[in-house]
Amino acid sequence: MSTASTIDPISASVIQGGLQSIAVEMGYKLMRMSYSSIIRESEDFGAALTDAQGRQIAESMQSTPLQSGPIAGYVQNVLKVLEARGETVEPGDIIMHNDPYGGASHGPDFAFMAPVFRDGALQGFACTTAHHLDVGAQTPGSAGIVEAIDVFAEGLQFKAVKIREAGRDIKQVWQILRSNVRAPSLVVGDMEAQIAACEIGAARFGDLIDQHGAGRVTAAVDALMDHSETMMRQAIAALPDGVYRAETKLDGFLDDPERRHLTMAVTLTVRGDEIEVDLEGTSPQIDDRPVNMPFVGTTDIAIWLTLRSVLLDSAVHGIIPQNSGLTRPITIKAPKGCLANPTFPAPVIARFTGGNQLADTVMKALSLCAPEMVSAGIGNLKVIAFSGLAGGEHWVHMEIFEGSYGGRFGMDGMDAVDTLYANTRNNPIEDIETHLPLRVTRYELNEDVAGPGKWRGGFGSIRAFEFLADGGASVEGEGHAFRPWGFAGGGEGGTASLTSVAPDGTAKAMPSKLAYRAARKGEVFVATGPAGGGYGDPFERDPQAVLDDVLDGLVSETSARELYGVAVMGGALDPAATAALRAKGAK
Amino acid sequence: MKLIGCDVGGTFTDLVLVETEAGTTVIHKVPTTPHDPSEGVLEGMIGLCALAGVAPGEVDHVLHGTTTATNAVLEHDGAVAGLITNAGFRDILHIGRHQRPEHYSIRQEVPWQDRPLVKRRFRKTVGGRIAPPGVELEPLDEAGVAQAARELRDAGVEAIAICFLFSYLDPAHELRARAIVEAECPGLFVTHSAGVSPQFREFERFTTTAMNAFIGPKVGAYVARLESRLAENGFKADLHVMGSNGGAATARMVAELPVSTLLSGPAAGIIGGAWAAALSGRRDLITFDVGGTSADIGIVRDGAFAEATARDTSIAGFPVLAPMIDIHTIGAGGGSIAHLDAGGAFRVGPRSAGAVPGPAAYGRGGTQPTVTDANVALGRLDPENFLGGAMSLDVAAARRVVGELAETLGMSLEETADGILTVVNANMANLVRSRTVQKGLDPRSFSLVAFGGGGPLQAVDVAAMLGIPEVIVPPAPGITSAMGLAATDMKYDLVRSVFARSDAPDPGRLEGLLEEMQRELAARLSADGFGPEAMAFERAGDLRYVGQGYELRCAFPAGGLDAASLAAVFDDFTEQHRREYGRANPGAPIEIVNVRVRGTGAMPVLERPAPPPGGSLEAALVRTSQVAFKVAGAMTRLPTPVYRREALPLEEEIPGPALIVQKDTTSILRPGDSLVADRGGNLLIRVALEG
Repeated sequence: MSTASTIDPISASVIQGGLQSIAVEMGYKLMRMSYSSIIRESEDFGAALTDAQGRQIAESMQSTPLQSGPIAGYVQNVLKVLEARGETVEPGDIIMHNDPYGGASHGPDFAFMAPVFRDGALQGFACTTAHHLDVGAQTPGSAGIVEAIDVFAEGLQFKAVKIREAGRDIKQVWQILRSNVRAPSLVVGDMEAQIAACEIGAARFGDLIDQHGAGRVTAAVDALMDHSETMMRQAIAALPDGVYRAETKLDGFLDDPERRHLTMAVTLTVRGDEIEVDLEGTSPQIDDRPVNMPFVGTTDIAIWLTLRSVLLDSAVHGIIPQNSGLTRPITIKAPKGCLANPTFPAPVIARFTGGNQLADTVMKALSLCAPEMVSAGIGNLKVIAFSGLAGGEHWVHMEIFEGSYGGRFGMDGMDAVDTLYANTRNNPIEDIETHLPLRVTRYELNEDVAGPGKWRGGFGSIRAFEFLADGGASVEGEGHAFRPWGFAGGGEGGTASLTSVAPDGTAKAMPSKLAYRAARKGEVFVATGPAGGGYGDPFERDPQAVLDDVLDGLVSETSARELYGVAVMGGALDPAATAALRAKGAK
Repeated sequence: MKLIGCDVGGTFTDLVLVETEAGTTVIHKVPTTPHDPSEGVLEGMIGLCALAGVAPGEVDHVLHGTTTATNAVLEHDGAVAGLITNAGFRDILHIGRHQRPEHYSIRQEVPWQDRPLVKRRFRKTVGGRIAPPGVELEPLDEAGVAQAARELRDAGVEAIAICFLFSYLDPAHELRARAIVEAECPGLFVTHSAGVSPQFREFERFTTTAMNAFIGPKVGAYVARLESRLAENGFKADLHVMGSNGGAATARMVAELPVSTLLSGPAAGIIGGAWAAALSGRRDLITFDVGGTSADIGIVRDGAFAEATARDTSIAGFPVLAPMIDIHTIGAGGGSIAHLDAGGAFRVGPRSAGAVPGPAAYGRGGTQPTVTDANVALGRLDPENFLGGAMSLDVAAARRVVGELAETLGMSLEETADGILTVVNANMANLVRSRTVQKGLDPRSFSLVAFGGGGPLQAVDVAAMLGIPEVIVPPAPGITSAMGLAATDMKYDLVRSVFARSDAPDPGRLEGLLEEMQRELAARLSADGFGPEAMAFERAGDLRYVGQGYELRCAFPAGGLDAASLAAVFDDFTEQHRREYGRANPGAPIEIVNVRVRGTGAMPVLERPAPPPGGSLEAALVRTSQVAFKVAGAMTRLPTPVYRREALPLEEEIPGPALIVQKDTTSILRPGDSLVADRGGNLLIRVALEG
């Protein structure tokens, strides 16, 4: 039993509020100080406090789940590695870490951590993570690298490297970085912002311990984690015991017969107040293509995130503190050597969309025991790294392209948003065109494609970028081959696509994973996002909702008739014709 | 000069009449009339004039704080609005930043998708495109604009927003489209994005403009109705409305730009708090306004309030790019409910008992322990003198509900009541920290100005948590916002995105632009009747290191910009960056993203009200109560004098513990604290700090 019982609930509440506001401040400052749009606009960063064992205490609200969630894994790995090397954490250290098999789950995500000492002992860490523009891989950028043969081909690896030791900056490490990454001033500027945010967090954490005493802070932290654990156990206990299986398919490499159509398999076993998640049946790892998902940092996060978002949905339960206590009732098994538990040095840099597909598969399994809490299949995401040379320097711009949600019980799916474990932001068109040789020529919803249902899936987007100068691009995405799943009689959603249109108008379809290739001035990339699956029988959809979609130009009159059995004439419902259509079409 | 300040709140409409020469104020309060607030306003103004013995026609200025715009947004009860935007970009308002409001939720709503300001069927697109640095790629399709306008009009749209990409660089297409729409749709409310907020970030600017259209007809009708009601009843003064920027604007301006009034009420509160504190010579302030369900925090430095950064301002989940005073709100007030959540953790709020049933102590059927009940249980609210005796408190009910929670917790009743206050105060202190410590400001160098019904009750405890040495309680804490209205100036803001870099400084271009903006503001103020001597202009910029995405506000020197003064602005940025983030990057290029000019028209103000008459402790003493305080870690009942505020002696130190009661609030002194009622009319409480 923990020390939680030794603190009164009022003191615990006061200390926990203090810890939470420290994590929020760290995230707020990192976002404001950083340079590259992937952090400051897309918010692809994380900030959290951990205890001395690396258990997560509190996280920033702004950060994306895929960045904050793994922080515990990073810190725990760093502690293990240092111990194995016979090194120790000292006051005044700043530790840098991006080991894909040590919590980072791919090289572009760097953690910086500042230890907090009081009473001569390590009390915890302030830690930030962020996705960096370039880590010295074979092609520019740090997304859309889909052809690495192992992790060494994916860029630099820093494994628990002190970039400041006992207060002294290790300048040589910075020099290694500067010499080996493209756009070094942006990358280093972002890293310095991460360090500054850690320093602020560590100082505040120390102040909090001074104010309340280390023992009481530890007790409050234990109580906090116990509380989150209790909430999760209650939510699991409310599910019917049983074994629930689901599968989905990944595109893989659509232009490579041996590496396409990969399987993601999830078996959930609910027993009392615990859940076991077994990934047996998932495709084997691909030894020479970087879509493998490290168990720590991608697989575990995708599963935890989905269980938490469904079972302790914050729109239903209010804000429940995100910390390591939430994961205690959950056991994850993944066969060694499968896509979701690869062995070093299998390449992993493009694990992003696969992990989100795993999250979707977990939700599909949950739909069998918690049907009113899930959405139908989500549309997965895509990242394009645009790059070029201007005035002898590289520019790199990473844009994350949104997916959409499936229909929900009583609610349609969310349109054109990031899905599940990602929750980044797009870049304003007015920012992109001001700073980069790119032009956005279209950004709107993709009409008439959405999984039909009593509550239909969300619509995807169409977004088009034109190169205003010669450059290049690489792509990592998903969802070109398989449509998001429909649920409870709802129809499947729509696939995504990517088309290149040359200045002469020639259009060419591109796969969801595209290694770097040059692009010409005037070339346009048109990305069509996926549409979520439908929920429930579309013939039971409220005709008024169908009419609204028709009036809004989202559903055509033909689709209204054929998919929903609703007759719309001249902007109004035709009830008699609708009744006839529905009688005829009813199963 | 006779001024009326009139603040419409959720329950009451507060009014104050100020005679600036005589230094007198008269206060009045009437119930708010939610179906049409102008009814309550009119009734209150007539009553106020009668109380003051002033004929309506003698009033020189009427300053009004209104929640009409705010409520229209919060209740999503606005006009049927239409949008005309660029071809290919019909859904900027709908896709937003493609981010979900909540990370960990499947069943969440997305405000801009679930409650659109403009439905997709009323979003029309037309050809035409501007691109950086302000070039026309494609001319405006004028026939398309005319057709879109006609279609919207025929569909019954009541307001039209015109939003084109990059209009902040060149508004020509928007202005031309606006002229066409106005010609096609006479009488409709029309607004364009460069006119609302010429700043980059299309989703935020378009949303602000769409919101302006959504609330425009309603606010315009309200203001017109109020103006005519006032005129019918003999008022000759112009109506001015408080803006979110902490300044008043004419009724005409507000009708054009209602989105500038979303924080009308809270802004008036900060101004009122700052005005009151200035009477005691205090200029560095944290304003602390606590009501039944929420607490508002504002920061005033050297007499000037902070302005929110454009990326932090939102309402009902929608971003709003409009100058706003920096006000932060948490759901913690007298009605906040203390409870154990499903996981057994102790929480206070954000759930609130509201006005109905309210706290158990109100005797209206409340069954859950609230912050007010905790105060009653500890004896900190005098049951006989609550709201000036207008309402009695059910002490037994308060003790019963707090006692039930205590039993669950296995703690004593008084420890539990104290715990409720500790948790709610700690939440408020964290909010203050986020606006001070996290900005590089030391709260210990500020005074806490406490108002609203609950501010003076919690203020000393919150101040002690933050190391703040002084709490100020203004003369009439319950009508601080109405006082703020009477104390405000006219203020108009202009902003332009410029993207000027420190490695290619061009002070001449900036100076030219600033002068042009200043001329525009001068014309506006002149039209409002201000002479040049009554006008003042402040210039500022939003700066960041090149590549960053968030800006810091830097004041520009009063004189013209030249190479030297521009360099000083960049130095100021470096210093602010260091203060706020703990480090700076000297030598790295800096970018001025926006330049801003604020034009102020000075209104006559009540500079020094007549001092209160003063009395004696004996005369002020109502009784001695037994009030529970934490002494050396244990809850202890101490004999505590209860004083009537209006009878306190002036400039005499009064030791705690004590309760000071007045019609609209109760102020608390703990053992060790002390109080002076000063000639400025404020209570100045010296807070006993630990260590």
